Formats: sequence, C-alpha cells, structure tokens
Amino acid sequence: MKVTLVMKPATKSFIPIEAESIVPKNFLAGTDLSVWRGNRELRLDEVFSISVEGDADRVEDVEVVLSGDTSRLKRVGEYMDGGKITILGGIGMHCGNFMSDGTIEVHGNADGWLGREMAGGTIICRGDAADYCASGYRGGRKGMTGGTVEVFGRAGDFLAESIAAGTVIVHGDAGDMAGAEMHGGTLVVHGNCSRPAANMKSGSCYVFGTAQGMLPTFRKVGTIQHEGRTLIQFTGDIANRGKGNLFVKDYKYLD
Amino acid sequence: MIVKDAVCPFCGCLCDDIEVEVEGGRVVAVTNACELGTTKFMGEKRMKNPILRDGNQWKEITCDEAVRYAADMLLDAERPLLYGWSGTHGEAQCVGVHMAELVRGVIDNTSSVCHGPSILAIQEVGHPGCTLGVVKNRADLVIYWGSNPIDAHPRHLSRYTRYAEGFFLENAFRDRKVIVVDVRRTETAEIADEFVQIKPGGDYAVLSALRAIVQGKTETIPRTVAGVTREQLVRVANLCKSAKFGAVYFGLGLTMTRGKYKNIRNAIELVSELSRHTKFTISAMRGHYNVYGSNEVNTWMTGYPFGIDFSRGIAFYNPGETTAVDILARKECDAALIVGSDPAAHFPRRCLEHLSEIPVVQLDPYPNATTAFCNVQIPVAVTGIDAEGTAYRMDGVPIRTRKVLSSDYLSDREVLLQMYTLMQEAKGQ
Amino acid sequence: MSELLVKNACVIDPLRGINAETMDIAIRDGRIVEEVSGAAEVIDARGMLTMPGGVDSHTHICGTKVNFGRYMSPEDMRAGRTPRRGPMHATSGYSVPTTYGNSYRYSVMGYTTLLEGAMAPLEARHTHEEFIYTPLQDTMANTLFDGNWAIMEAIRDGDTKRVAAIIAWTLRAVKGFGVKLTNPGGTEAWQWGKNVSCIRDPVPYFEVTPAEIIRSIVEANELLHLPHSVHLHCNNLGTPGNYTCTLGSFGLIPDLNPKRQTLYATHVQYHAYGGSGWKDFCSKSEPIANFVNMRPQIVIDMGQVMFGRTTTMTADGPMEFNLYRLHHDKWSNHDVELETGSGIIPVVYRRKNLVNSIMWAIGLELALLTKSPWQCLLTTDNPNGAPFVKYPEIIALLMSKRYRDAEFATVHPDTGSRVPLPAIERELDWYEIAVMTRAGQAKALGIQEIGKGHLGPGAYADVAVYPIRIDDVDPSVDYQKVIEAFGQTEYTIKRGRVVARRGECVVDGSNATFWVKPRVSEAYDMGKDPDFIEKFDRYYTVRMRNYPVQEEYLNRNRCIETEAEI
Repeated sequence: MKVTLVMKPATKSFIPIEAESIVPKNFLAGTDLSVWRGNRELRLDEVFSISVEGDADRVEDVEVVLSGDTSRLKRVGEYMDGGKITILGGIGMHCGNFMSDGTIEVHGNADGWLGREMAGGTIICRGDAADYCASGYRGGRKGMTGGTVEVFGRAGDFLAESIAAGTVIVHGDAGDMAGAEMHGGTLVVHGNCSRPAANMKSGSCYVFGTAQGMLPTFRKVGTIQHEGRTLIQFTGDIANRGKGNLFVKDYKYLD
Repeated sequence: MIVKDAVCPFCGCLCDDIEVEVEGGRVVAVTNACELGTTKFMGEKRMKNPILRDGNQWKEITCDEAVRYAADMLLDAERPLLYGWSGTHGEAQCVGVHMAELVRGVIDNTSSVCHGPSILAIQEVGHPGCTLGVVKNRADLVIYWGSNPIDAHPRHLSRYTRYAEGFFLENAFRDRKVIVVDVRRTETAEIADEFVQIKPGGDYAVLSALRAIVQGKTETIPRTVAGVTREQLVRVANLCKSAKFGAVYFGLGLTMTRGKYKNIRNAIELVSELSRHTKFTISAMRGHYNVYGSNEVNTWMTGYPFGIDFSRGIAFYNPGETTAVDILARKECDAALIVGSDPAAHFPRRCLEHLSEIPVVQLDPYPNATTAFCNVQIPVAVTGIDAEGTAYRMDGVPIRTRKVLSSDYLSDREVLLQMYTLMQEAKGQ
Repeated sequence: MSELLVKNACVIDPLRGINAETMDIAIRDGRIVEEVSGAAEVIDARGMLTMPGGVDSHTHICGTKVNFGRYMSPEDMRAGRTPRRGPMHATSGYSVPTTYGNSYRYSVMGYTTLLEGAMAPLEARHTHEEFIYTPLQDTMANTLFDGNWAIMEAIRDGDTKRVAAIIAWTLRAVKGFGVKLTNPGGTEAWQWGKNVSCIRDPVPYFEVTPAEIIRSIVEANELLHLPHSVHLHCNNLGTPGNYTCTLGSFGLIPDLNPKRQTLYATHVQYHAYGGSGWKDFCSKSEPIANFVNMRPQIVIDMGQVMFGRTTTMTADGPMEFNLYRLHHDKWSNHDVELETGSGIIPVVYRRKNLVNSIMWAIGLELALLTKSPWQCLLTTDNPNGAPFVKYPEIIALLMSKRYRDAEFATVHPDTGSRVPLPAIERELDWYEIAVMTRAGQAKALGIQEIGKGHLGPGAYADVAVYPIRIDDVDPSVDYQKVIEAFGQTEYTIKRGRVVARRGECVVDGSNATFWVKPRVSEAYDMGKDPDFIEKFDRYYTVRMRNYPVQEEYLNRNRCIETEAEI
C-alpha cells in the first residue's frame, strides 16, 4: 500500500503542525486521522491531499510518501514500528521520535531532534540534519538505544547526545559537542566537528576529519588503521572516569 | 514616611534591608540599595492609562477595553505566547499559568535568555547548592565564574562573600579567598586573590581539566588549556581541595557562551567531584528580580520551569523549541502577551520582526522598547513598589515584597485575573 | 446551609470503635451532625466500605525540596500528564507530580488530610504557596529544627525552656504544625561536608550530641503542649547495622503524654537494617517492632519501599550524598542557613536487587510485627519508598499472606535467608487498615480533637466511600479487588462536598492549613529577646521582620492555639 500525502498550502503557514499520527501502522485502518495546528485539531485531509494505492494487512507493506512544504511538520513517524516513510522535501522537528523499526527517508533537510530517543529502525537524511540529531530528551540519561541514523549532509550541534547504543553516521561535518555524554554505540563523522565525545563514558566515536577544540581530558593511546585510514586513538573522557574510544584523523586543542 | 526592610525589585539578590523614604506618593530617597536598585525605586515616568495602537497613533482606552482586547486576542490565537514574568510576583505568575493552560498556549519566562542553560544542566546532573547565608557564614573560598557581580549584582560581595562577615570566619576579609574566572579582566577580577583568564569558548575545556586534576590525573592535561597554564590549574584545584567550604557562583559568561548548558553541567560535575574531598556548592547568579520565582511557580503548576507548551492540552517542554526566542525566530506563534519583561530590548532582530507582525499586548508600568511592538499596553503597579507579592531570591528563598507606596494602578495579578475571568466565561467555565 | 446524607454506609470508624456497622452519615455545612432535614441531598452508599477521609501523616508534597525534585526531573514529568478538563487543571509527573497531580490522585484514593513531612523555616513561604495549589486536601507542615543554631546553643546551655521558646516563636512565624528532626545534628555537620555517626557523636562546633538534641526537644515539645509529638527521622538512615542507632534513639524517650505518643519515628523501614555492610545486609525489623511493642510512647510509620522508579528527597543531605556515590545519577543538595538542609536523587528499586528486596520486606514486617496498628502507620515516605499511588498495593500485601508469597517469589532469591517475612502469617483486617491509614494517623498527629480522622458529630465531614462490600470479599484471596477498591473511591467527600467520584475530581476545591500558635509568657517571647535578635540580624540573610509568613499565605487559616508551660 502506498499512501501519498501532499501538503496543501496553508493560510497560517508559520504555525507548526504536529502530525504524530503519520506512521505507517495507522494507515492500515484508513486515513481518518487528525493532526494539530497549534491548539486546533484538523482532519488529515484538511492539511493534505491524500491518495491511497493498493492495500496492505501488514505494516511492512505500507509506504507513506510526503511532499509539499513539509518543513514545519513535526513528529512524523513518532513511535513508528515498521513500514516506510519517504519525505520528498524537508521535514520538521522530531521526525522519528522513539522509532523502533521501519525506515524513514528524508530527501531534504531535517530539523532538530531527528530520531530522538530512537530504539531501532533506520533513518536516512539526504540533506542536512539540524541540532540534536539522534539525541536524547531533557533530563533523560539515555539517548538513542538502537537502530541507525545516516545523514549525507552536515549535522548540527549536540549530534547523538547521550547515545547508549546504535549507530549514527554523518558524511559531512558535524557541529559542536558531537557525541556528548556518549555511553555506548557508535558515532562516525566523516568531516570535521568540534569537541567530540565530551564527557563520554563508553562507546566509540570516529572523526575522519579534524577534531577542533579537542578536549584536554582524553589520553592518547596510539594510532590504528581503520577502513584504510590512519587514525589517532584516544581514551576518555577521563574527567568523567570514562573508558570510551575516540578516534580522530587529526585534532587541535584550544591551547 | 520611611519604609524599612523593603525588598529591592531589581535583581535576584532581593536585598531586603532597603529603607525607602516616601513623600507625597513619590519615592524621594533610598538607603542601602545599590545604584541599580535605587534607580528602580526612584522610577521613571509611568504610563498613565492603557493605550491602543490606532494606525500610527496611540489612543488612550479604558482598562476594561484593554483587558477585553487581550482576552479576545488570546482566545482567537492558535498558538499564543505568554512571555516574560520575571518582573512580576508569584501570585500573578500563577494566573498566567492558568491562562496558558486554558487557551492552550505557550508560557515562557526570561530564563530562556539567561539561565535556561543552567536549568538544562541541572536537569542532567542535579544541583549541589545552598542558601546565600550558608556561604556568608562558612565559605573560605568563593569562585566567580563568568560573572561580574560588581557590575550586575553589586551587593553580592558585601552581603554574602568578599566583604561580608561570617559566623565561622574570624576575619572574613582575610580568611576568605576569592577566585575570578573570566575571559577578560573584569572589575571583580581586580578584587580577587586569583584571576584565571580563559580564552573565549574555553570554559568547558578548563572545567574538564580541573575535574581530571582533582582526580589526580594531571599527567594527561596538556601544558596549557584554553590559555590557562597547567600550573595555574593545579594551583586552583589545590585551593579548592584545601578549602573548608567552597562556593562557585556562575553567570552569563558561562551559560550563554559556546557549549551553553554543557558548560554548566561540567561546572556542576566539578563541584560534585570536589564534594568527595570537601564541602562545595554551586549556584547561578540569577539576574532578573523574580525570574527564579517564575521557574518555581511554573514547576509546581506544570512540572517544568520554563518553555511550557500547552498546545495539545498537556504540558510539553523542550527548550530550543518551546522557548520564546525560538518560537518568535521561527514565527511559530500568532499572538503574544508580555508581562514583566522587555523582550524588544534583548531579543534578536528576527524575533522582533515576528513580534511586529502579530498582535501584542504588554503589561508594564513604563513605556519601554517593547511598547513599539504593542497593539495594547496596560500600565500596572510595580511589584515591590506599589504592589506586594511573593518573589524568590536567586537561592530559592521566598520573600514577600513590601508595598512602599499606594497608587491607583492595578497590580499584574488583578489585571490578569480580569482577563482570565473573561476567558473562562468565553470557554463556558 | 448545605446538607448531605450518606445512607447505607458500611462504616469503619476506629476512633469511635465502630467496626463495619451499616449506618447513615449526616452532614451539614461541612461538619458531621446527628441528623439532617428531609431536604438533604442523598447519596446511597449501598453497603460500601466507608471510612473517615484518609490522613497521610508523613508525605512530601509541597515546598522547596519537592519542587526541586520536579525542577530537575523533566523525564519524570513525561508520565502522568493530563490536560485541563472540567474543574481539573493539567497535571504532570509520576514520582514528583505537580501540586494538582498530587492533590487529584490523593483525592481519588480518598485522602483528605496531608502532612508535609519537612519544611525548612526560612523557606516556609514556599510550602504554603504550594499548599494553596493542593486544593483537595487540608494541609499542615512539619517544621525542621534538626540543625537550628539557636536551639543547639540553648541545649548546650542546658536551657530547655529556651529551646521551647525558640520552637514556639518559629512555629508561629512560619505557620508550622509540628516539630521535625531530620538526622538531628547531621544536617549541621553536613554544611561542613561531614555527618554524625550516631546519637553520641557531637555536632562540630556546637558540641551537642543528637541524643541531647532529641531529648531536649522532646521535652520542649511537651512544654508547649503541641498537638503532635516530636517527629523524628533518626540518624544514620539507610546504613547497614543502623538498627542499634534506632533502638538507642527510641530508648531516649520517656512517656510524657497520656493522650498520644511522645515520639513519632518516621519511615522506620530505612532505620531497621542489620549487617556490617551491604554484603551481609539483613532485616532487623524484629528487634525494632519488639521494642515498639513494649513502648506505648512510640509510634512509627512504615516508609514502605515498592519496586519501580521514584525520587528520594529528604532534609538528610549527607545521606543523599552517600546515595549519589552509590548510584552516580543526578544529585541535588540544598543547605539552609542556620537551620537544616536537603538532598534529592532519583532511584529505581529493583526486585532483582537483594538490598532492595530486603528493604521491601522490612517495611511489611514492621507493620505485621507491630502488634497495635495504632503504633505503625502506613506510609511510603512518599515519594522516597514509592509514590503514594502504591498505597492500595501495600494495603493488599498487609491483608493477604497469599499476595505476599506471590510477590516474594519474584524478588531476589537470597532474600529469604535475610528477612523474617516468609514466616509471618498475620493478615491485617479492614479495621486495622482503617487505623493505619486515617484513625491512627489523626491520633498520632493530635488532630482528632479538632475533628479529623473520625466521623463523630462535630467532625469535619471528610469521608471516603470505597466501591467494595467487605462481606463479599475475602482480602486474603481477592487481593486484586482490594487494590482496585482502595485505588479509586466511589465518593470522596471533603468538608461536606463530593470532591471526587470514580476517578474524577468534580470540584476545584479550597484547602485549609492547620498551624500551631503556642502561647508563651512575655519572658519567653523570642521576638523580644535581644540575644536572639542580634544573632538573627548578623547571621541570617533575610531581615527578621521579613521572615514570618504572613497570614495572606493561608488559604483557609486554621490556627490551633496551645497554652505553653513557659
């Protein structure tokens, strides 16, 4: 089954729309769903032109395709447990919150908190991801606990904050504090980033570019060969009695 | 008439030993207050009546009309923002929360532009703190980190630290050491026993290094960290460990610089680390008068200290998304009620652009920068001058402000209650 | 005039010795009366279990420390979120809910009176502000005196009357109800990062021991004729082997009051530990309960632990720091000048954890081994042992050996060799539960005379009607039905109005605050004592005139005046 949702132009276009109802599972029972613009509840068809092709009994067979100006659409794919969501443009905050299975593919840029507290499944972002990609929630100890997030553009600050398990890969540069409070899982940044793995306890962080503002509390172990690259291995963050691994191509202290 | 033990309505110190002389319904003299507090008490020119924007002009309207305008504005909005609150008393803040809950709006206070990051850090690692009197009576080491009290909290030094007497200190001025950490040599640095100058953006690295040194892992630390020599870091760590009671006070130099709440988290974790060796506490130098009270009120009523979004009925909290600056910059609200603050004086231009595009009502005694963005402004009594109510000091001590003079102005609470009543009626409650 | 008649109620009212009698309860203008007119509104209780409104004599619901628990825990707020609906405001939170969350959930369980367990005098105004937003219960606050400088100095000088005078001035100033000692002396030592080890260990500088503090304040409490006794959180909370310290503290207490206990020892589960460390940690509920059985002057509450996550919060700062070192989670601490302190950390009690399993057993053992239910009251030290919403499960555990055995089978397998619980056959009955959840609590607080905790004419019309017929249910078998019934009343009546019905709160409510004003002679008025005033001005950071809580902060002001002997 393929559900196509084309966003209608809206009058109050700047008010964000919360659409946690847009998960593949819900479409097994039809399209009688609602979303919220600010404090107003709207029917799904007030916001989207909806078309459905084919039918499905299992969530795995449902694909939802979103198009139009979806960049202010929040919480799409929240608690998603299977199937596929394809977003042809950009997507608003909190896409794939708490996701446990299935695939989300974003062709444009993703706003903040992409894949927050994700437990499983796959998120692919072809554009850039804003701050707090694959991170946790305020006050929580664990961020991501499983699954994969792959960003082909750049990522913002606090990438994979508090990650406990799972994999996050960014092909471009990442911002400040990538992998802060990491205590498990794997973070790979192909470009540069600043202050990676701050306060890490455990897990592995790879920076194939330069780690700017490298923190002084990582102990140099030596060099390793990794996928054809020579990387410098550190362990830390010793300020936090951490025993994580940080591998960087190059680094620069703020000395 | 002289009013004794009045409470200063300027900063989070809430000095409550002020003497105010009133003559003919005006404050004519203020004793004990700092310059900032004195200016606040002496007041400027107050606005007389509520005003309504009428094209390029202002038209005076009645309070009832103004209240009706505000109530309708909030009821019509899909995502109203109720912002400010640090300049008013707790009793008014409580009405504000009820209003936000009723119209399903967003309520936020000035923390989001000052110590919001401190709160986020506390939510990650907690907060070992104490009341100001504990520091005054015991601390033999005080560290001002990214804060300049001489400028922003002038009496902090004389009431609680450098120049204060203390029960357990024989000669407080001699026995109490003061360390200042900052990116530039501030006035406060001049009166410090030790000044640590950090390169901009380097606070986090220095805090991490200190934590490692306190644990005895000095050998890993590079020769300099963000412009600070390892020798100085070791000296500071030893000063901390050998103190009987250490207190860290941090300011916007730590919260609002690169890394934001991670800086504060690191500072708190340093203090927790030091607590294994001696007594140490850490506290934020809260700026706006009753901003901490707004955090307290919001917390007991909604569960969260600031940035609370009731759009969906239940309280949702996500600073960076549900905070005023972010909402305005992203144009995500369609009306604003401003109480007890002056966002136009502090907010980025992008935020103000949106403020100029939506209906705005402000409750404030004075014409201010935000007035230019208002559709309606309602002058109110000044909390702590002609209105009384509860304010929370930067350390959480609640104090009832005194009314030093009487006026005909309604208090924030009274005006808000009128709005709330109209809104309840409209909602059939 | 408003009248209400609750007909055909199966009433258990222990303070009047009524045990499961079918009767009508007449209410006029918020009070129980002998009879009402024919115009009264009628509620047919249809034989359902009906008791006085619940009283919680030790809970943490309002004030600086509780609110800091909320402030630091946005993750806790993700549970229990409800929108505004009808007269109910929005709520958030599980272990540290918002004030409305606490009030609504307590009300749905039939509770109408709550005692906040720890209020720092300097921050009392905060507690009272939150009381206003706890609309469906009457409230009162235990006031902390464990590290009070002026009191420790008076004790050092051997002047018990001065101790009483300071308590009198402070209670009156801060609108407090009772006297609370939390780790006496320890909270002052903690302001140097230290603690006191037990009751004979002197407090740094002040050179008085916890034993002297306890004894002197107990005497002072009785000199003031306060309704409640001293309310003690013993030294050494949570440490293996602390039961000897607890017994030592209990042993200090003479029997001074014919009407009620002389000492209320709170959350005794945390103080009934054997062993020399965590490795040989075990229950010492038996010696503690045996001691209490021989001492009518002592009343304890359970401080039951239930499995799951919660937030611990107490004025006992050093204890919380030890917990932090054990758990490495968030830790908050807040020392209060010249008075006391507090600490907060989140915890998870796990069945798979041996220590947690033993703690769980100890609370139940205390309740089952203490012969008189009037001497062991039901609490979790909310939220320390568990949030109060777990009370129905605790009631069911106490009423059913079968339920206890079923739960015991799920805890750590080594628990059996460390605790006496499996061998205890006793099952409490409905009457005993009524004592432990309202009558006994009201008596211990000394508020039965002002009309709390019973349904006699003149009493506050606070009534809980539970949807259960006790003749039809065998609690030892049908424990699930017991849990359900105590989880949600059919009607909760507060001050003569139905405030909650089947899980929904139906009025906005308006709380009353009870506080105590002891009348002392001019010579013992500390407000006029030059030495007291001078030290106050020099060492506090608020002016003495700005310290007292104004009566504006009391929603419905219920002052209890006592005639002191000083």
